[in-house]
Amino acid sequence: MHVNADQESDVETLYGLHRAELRRLLLARVGDPAEAEDLLQELWLRARQRPAGPVENGRAYLFRMAQNLVVDRLRERQRRMARERRWSDQETDFTPTGVEPSDRRETAEDQIIAREQVAALLSAIASLPEGARRAFELHKLDGFSHAEVAQRLGISKSGVEKHMAVAMKYLRRALLD
Amino acid sequence: MIDEALAWQVELARDDADWEGYMAWLEADPRHREAFDSVALTEAMVDEHRNEVRALLEAQAPDSPSANTLSPTSPYRPRRPLRWVMGGGLAAALALAVGLPMMWAPEAVTGYAAHAGSSRTVALADGANVILSPASRILVHGRNAARIELASGEAYFAVRHDPSRTLTIEAGPYRITDIGTRFSVNLSGGTFRIAVSEGAVAVSSDKANGQVRLQAGQQLTGGADGNLALAPVAVADVGSWRDGRLSYNDAPLALVVADISRYSGRRIIVDSSLETRHFSGTLVIGDGSRLLPDLAAVMGLAVHPQDGGALRLGGADR
Repeated sequence: MHVNADQESDVETLYGLHRAELRRLLLARVGDPAEAEDLLQELWLRARQRPAGPVENGRAYLFRMAQNLVVDRLRERQRRMARERRWSDQETDFTPTGVEPSDRRETAEDQIIAREQVAALLSAIASLPEGARRAFELHKLDGFSHAEVAQRLGISKSGVEKHMAVAMKYLRRALLD
Repeated sequence: MIDEALAWQVELARDDADWEGYMAWLEADPRHREAFDSVALTEAMVDEHRNEVRALLEAQAPDSPSANTLSPTSPYRPRRPLRWVMGGGLAAALALAVGLPMMWAPEAVTGYAAHAGSSRTVALADGANVILSPASRILVHGRNAARIELASGEAYFAVRHDPSRTLTIEAGPYRITDIGTRFSVNLSGGTFRIAVSEGAVAVSSDKANGQVRLQAGQQLTGGADGNLALAPVAVADVGSWRDGRLSYNDAPLALVVADISRYSGRRIIVDSSLETRHFSGTLVIGDGSRLLPDLAAVMGLAVHPQDGGALRLGGADR
């Protein structure tokens, strides 16, 4: 009990310590003071919910959490837009009469949007320059760290970073044309 | 600016990331925020589809017969570029990626997609009509719709013949020109098929010299290996999917299976021993769920459910 309370207050202490900076980060990141304040609230709630355990480099930890919150919202917004775009397209004749198979939990739009994204990703990955493709596959798909990728490919860590930047550049173009 | 955003993304992944510098960069120009948004979104999408992408890449690696069983830490081995499951959409999507060097490309591109489970009619400039079969997608380039790209799936085109017009339809490495009037184009599973029900078209390919002229009642099929085959086709069978039937005349199995995958919404893996098989016949679409069992029955094959919801088409068990 005592330990738990300690650790909880640890995160809170961390949060209290970096609150002003976190607000600055969120405001710089989203550009809207009200949204930044809202995100800051959410960050505080999430930080308190995190499972017990020591936090290494607490400032970076909270900063990354803040960054992730922003991306989650972006992604949600983007999904909504993709759905709306699809709905605004008119449909015609061929509508299946049968019942949806029970294993289809997602809606048809979600499915086709996801399938398109996967297809775009696969094409973009195949089009990557060889080095960038190998670095990307090892790091992003197989889950190796930059250092591990560097070791496997026999290149420097900054070489891996360069490959990753190239890979993300290609993928960004393919996904968000 | 995108390059700066990419550099910051890499920087922030480090343990000793320069958060101060990052915030200063964001504050310096509101456009930095948007650039970083697009980079962060890309990463989020990659992470979200990681498992699926990985499984598909593994499925296409020639030396891995079992697609879904590799552990996340399997040792690195080089993967060959995608071969046939996504091969067709590949070239088209690639053309798109290469054709648009910027987020704000000067040429207008409009994408039209049909939902899984329903087809869709699109009326384009100059009286060209396109019916998209379920889970198919076209990209229309330019304001006058002078270039239409079939990104994936099948589309039926009805285009008034007009010699003064320079409409081109692209599907992977294939290019359809001198167009009039009714035909169906399919780009799935690395294979290509065009069948003409009225009028004539010319087809050329990046992979071969010259062009092929097709008349009504003819079809041209391009396999994943790039080999072309010209064959007769019943005019009534062209675009028969609009009436709920899938008709094939000596079609590569890859194309048939890719169609079935679109109609059923299921991922289908084909045993590599069947890659060279062809299929002739008609399948009733219904709700899509009977297509694969029916195909398997006609061809004397079997359907094996896989972990993760995919289906594998393979030889019948003895």
